[in-house]
Amino acid sequence: MIFAGITISEAAVIGLFVASIQFATLLYLAALGETIAERAGVLNLGVEGMMAMGAVAGYIGGAASGSPWVGLLVGTAAGAAISVVHAVAAVGLGADQVVSGLALTILGLGLADFIGDDYTDDPRRALFAEVDIPGLSDIKWVGDVLFSASPVTYLAGVLGIVTWFVFNRTSLGLGLRAVGQSASTADAAGHSVVAMRMGAVITGGALAGMSGAYLSTFVVGAWSVGVTAGRGWIAVALVIFGAWRPGRVALGALLFGFTLALQLRLQPFGISFSPILVSMLPYLLTMGVLIVISYRARNQPSPSPAGLGIAYRREER
Amino acid sequence: MAFAIGLIFALIIGALLLSISGDPVFDTYQRMWDRSFGTADTLSATFNRAVPLALAGLAVSVAATMGLWNIGAEGQILFGATAATLVGRIGADWPGPVLIVAMLLGAAVGGALWSFGPGLARAEIGVSEIITTLMLNEVALRLIRYLQNGAWKDPEGFGFPQVEARPDQAQLGQIWERAHLGVIIALVVIAAFAWFLNRSVWGYELKIAGSSPKTATYAGISMRRKTLGVMLLSGAIAGFAGGIELTGTASRLSENISNGFGFAGIIVAALALMRPSGVALVAVAFSAVQVGGLSIQTLGVSPAVSAILQALILFGAIGAAVLSTYQIRLVDRKVAA
Repeated sequence: MIFAGITISEAAVIGLFVASIQFATLLYLAALGETIAERAGVLNLGVEGMMAMGAVAGYIGGAASGSPWVGLLVGTAAGAAISVVHAVAAVGLGADQVVSGLALTILGLGLADFIGDDYTDDPRRALFAEVDIPGLSDIKWVGDVLFSASPVTYLAGVLGIVTWFVFNRTSLGLGLRAVGQSASTADAAGHSVVAMRMGAVITGGALAGMSGAYLSTFVVGAWSVGVTAGRGWIAVALVIFGAWRPGRVALGALLFGFTLALQLRLQPFGISFSPILVSMLPYLLTMGVLIVISYRARNQPSPSPAGLGIAYRREER
Repeated sequence: MAFAIGLIFALIIGALLLSISGDPVFDTYQRMWDRSFGTADTLSATFNRAVPLALAGLAVSVAATMGLWNIGAEGQILFGATAATLVGRIGADWPGPVLIVAMLLGAAVGGALWSFGPGLARAEIGVSEIITTLMLNEVALRLIRYLQNGAWKDPEGFGFPQVEARPDQAQLGQIWERAHLGVIIALVVIAAFAWFLNRSVWGYELKIAGSSPKTATYAGISMRRKTLGVMLLSGAIAGFAGGIELTGTASRLSENISNGFGFAGIIVAALALMRPSGVALVAVAFSAVQVGGLSIQTLGVSPAVSAILQALILFGAIGAAVLSTYQIRLVDRKVAA
């Protein structure tokens, strides 16, 4: 196939989209977690650190047990465990969410390096295999890209639908959103602000940890220092890009996943455009979208949770 | 006070972690102390590293005076160093002092440029500066990666992607042991801003704008101009730090020229309670933890201990600060009753 003077092989195109789905899964899990925390009113800039914890714990869990599922579980638990620090500092003690979140990133990256020190050159591998969805995986092109992925990709899709359902169709979700909009009103209505917010932060940590574990049990398949490579920050950006809604965040994850895949898979197309410049795209896109949202929000309500970033101290009500 | 409690908390938790992983606790801390404060030589290295930490902390606290979060000091340091490198390429045969001044000015302008977009977006349409400055960190990092692989690639780097070394004459002079002139410059800059924020009309207006935007508007202070102005200033200080790193410690621009100084600067500013005077002291302590952390590798201990300690100092201090406010209030109420 020749397109715009460039010869493109079918395998290269499929490879590009398969990689896009992998990166989209990685970003979506972490961004979904951040969406939950932010909808409850807590900004957590610790995603990068929680992801690193998930990656190292996921690798160790997988390598020790020989099962990637155990790795995924251990990584998820590690992400949840480290997020307790932010839950206690920012929600329990009412510390500034920005400072506490950034310190969590530093702590998580440091702790992951510390724990992973003995595992950087470990040859053991416990990797997820692609699972074909019967019938669907045979569809030309689409089947290879969408229905022949790792089980974690399907899991991420299910978790996205569950999150959407909880947000919009359950009283728990209503309470969570109320806490994020106006903590004092939600408190007066009988919701426990502290419990809800802590629960949301820890759920978010678990998902960031799962994302990291997916990195070390599938995408990269090993642990090394700096394996998260700034992707946690993209997840934070995605939440805004997706206007705090699980469905739109998923669309954003696909788009950003595509740009991440482009960086790695540009060469087979013989395009001389620098992959490094492409790697700036997710960040610039997010800034652009944020500016457009804010510009529009002058006339209509902002999609951002009204209480986002504001600590709630009950005695100061 | 909260800082001291935070430090003790960090050392205790750090000791627990070290002993769990079978590392020698006392030897590790002893080595960190020796290699940061132990001799004149190591102390001067600690001072050097405190410079970018203190300037980044100052940048963050200047923005915080008006209630703004500059999370982009990291990117502004990187772009400041990039701009200074550009000046160095233009003035490669200028005399040292002239070139250094030009590079430092270029760095400050570069940093301000990097915070201009977030500042303008915040001032005009209320876009959260937290996210925009954060995004630009990643962009600045990739810009350097792009330059070192392309236009600015060192022809003498044996194919290794690195930027050409800056001109030799653009080296800040030594003042004491390994400490360079940047230490003095940073102290002067911090003192100037401490005075500026506390004694000048502009600084006073800034504080009003930070504590009560409505009052400020009634008093005829333009929030838009103040917002943009303070973000430019904050970016310029951080960019300046990048220039000092390039002319003081580093010999060339690289992705690692800001070793996370911008992020650590936020923690430094928070621990200094956003006061310029406190920033310098906290920066020296953080620098010691970082410099000391680099030295423990020879003991077989992971240098990541340093990052863990830095974060734990903050969390310990948060706990201490909150607990102390609770105590004071309890006493107040009893007296009132």
